[in-house]
Amino acid sequence: MTQPPGDLPKDAARRLEQLGHGLFTSDLSVNEFLLIKEVGFHPLGFVMGSSIYHTGLQARSWGKSQELTKLTEAMYNARELAMTRMEEEAAELGADGVVGVRLDVNYYEWGSDAAEFIAMGTAVKAESGASHRNAQGKPFTSDLSGQDFWTIMQTGHVPQGLVMGNCVYHIAHRGVGQALGSVGRNVELPNFTQALYEARELAMTRMQDEANELQANGIVGVRLEEKSHQWGSHTIEFLAIGTAVTRSSGEVSLPRPTTIVSLDN
Amino acid sequence: MPDSEVTRGGGDRPLPAGAEPDGGAVPEAADRRLHSGSFSSGLSVPDFAACLQMGIEPVALVQGFCVMRWAWYGAGSPYLRGVTPYSTGAGTYVSNYRCPHGFVSTDHRTWGQNYEQTWVEEAWSEGFGSAYQRMLDEATEAGAHGIVGVADTTRHLGDLGVTEFHITGTAVVVRDGDPPPGGAPWTTYLAGQRLAKLFEAGFVPVSVAAALSSVRVWAYCMTEYLMEGGALGWKASTVQEAAQVVDAHMASYQIAREHVRSQLGGDLLHGARMGVQQRNLGEGDEVVECRLVGTRVRRFRDGARLAPPLPTVRLS
Repeated sequence: MTQPPGDLPKDAARRLEQLGHGLFTSDLSVNEFLLIKEVGFHPLGFVMGSSIYHTGLQARSWGKSQELTKLTEAMYNARELAMTRMEEEAAELGADGVVGVRLDVNYYEWGSDAAEFIAMGTAVKAESGASHRNAQGKPFTSDLSGQDFWTIMQTGHVPQGLVMGNCVYHIAHRGVGQALGSVGRNVELPNFTQALYEARELAMTRMQDEANELQANGIVGVRLEEKSHQWGSHTIEFLAIGTAVTRSSGEVSLPRPTTIVSLDN
Repeated sequence: MPDSEVTRGGGDRPLPAGAEPDGGAVPEAADRRLHSGSFSSGLSVPDFAACLQMGIEPVALVQGFCVMRWAWYGAGSPYLRGVTPYSTGAGTYVSNYRCPHGFVSTDHRTWGQNYEQTWVEEAWSEGFGSAYQRMLDEATEAGAHGIVGVADTTRHLGDLGVTEFHITGTAVVVRDGDPPPGGAPWTTYLAGQRLAKLFEAGFVPVSVAAALSSVRVWAYCMTEYLMEGGALGWKASTVQEAAQVVDAHMASYQIAREHVRSQLGGDLLHGARMGVQQRNLGEGDEVVECRLVGTRVRRFRDGARLAPPLPTVRLS
């Protein structure tokens, strides 16, 4: 085993070295394991990366809807760091990619404004020895389950990376006069529409930019999440996340599904 | 209700000026994203695979929004607790209930009423319709033929006094297919294998159909606290009041069905989903709302017979 990169913890390096001797760990279910083997990949080990970030409040003006760029960057960089550290572990194992990636945010009592970002997944390698690394020469990452990984390979697409974009947005409070005026006609509030629209579009565009950097053809399984974390209801993080894919063959080799009738009770 | 025609996909609904930040129909960020070289898809991987198999290719995840000021008090004031029927309902459904106790005190309502709140229904149509139209604009911008896997959420943000309508879907093109006649993309809540089954059955999706009905309940008898102690009359009025609320529920289903039927134009409704919500706004003051959505479908050929399914038995 080669010397691990400097910033991997010593214990991680020792664990990864043991994995190098043929023993593997994985959080895949048995079915997922079999499906990944079916498309010619072998699990190498469970890999993870984390980063603890201070995500305190940024000054907001009470009556104005605006993006909180510092928080956006903090939340983005924290996830990116966790992902990069996971990728380093995977690269250390000589992996082609990581499947079943989960990105979690945890808050602890000991740090009121600190959040721990964790990325974990199972590193895999092609049994044929051919490289499946992405356009940047790094192991691909994807949040696809074993079943989804198998299915996407049948459609002639290969994953390139888990891509994401975010936007932390502060939604303006309404003035006292406006709030009291809630007896009356229900009408559109164009400023609110525009604020929420812009926030989500910014997150999605940033995700798309990441996919373009990977020279991907597209992003599958895009999810739009929104969370207020610990900032109160008026500050929301919009997160767009999905798996960037490239078309490898263009052939959809998925067999026509069979309809079944279960005779079980 | 003529205003419920909003989900037909015509471009006749003008957007409020404030929703057009750069003069166009979609925000600048969306414009760049929709013309990006790579696609995005909000479909699950199995749905994505099934769509590719059918020759349907995703172009972009599209969305539309509308945030509206929201209150359940419009024409009817919460302080309008008269001793006669209020008849503020402008809709087709108004029903009066007379209290058997007669005049007891000024706190005791001698009349109760159920009525359709057309102004809430129209506001809902406006909010849903604007969000839907904006999603269509994004899809048209991306050169799509249709939108599959439509999902809509409506959130009441209580502390803001607003309601947010959010509709998303995956804009698609049909490989070797023609753009839809009239230019507006077709839309459906279905995707993947469920959409494939619809085609096999000989139907094509036309558009999503959605409506909300809103029925206000002013309970007629507010004397429960006066009658406590086991008098027979107390029990009787409670049962009658429950009947008034049941009437409101039945009316809300019926009105929602009529609204959606008026959008179908002779087509069928597939995969209908109905949800009922009852809100308590004060003493003896309830709102019953029924939301009905589904995909409007049209037959284009005789349905193919389903291949006989394979019987399976689990051995565990």
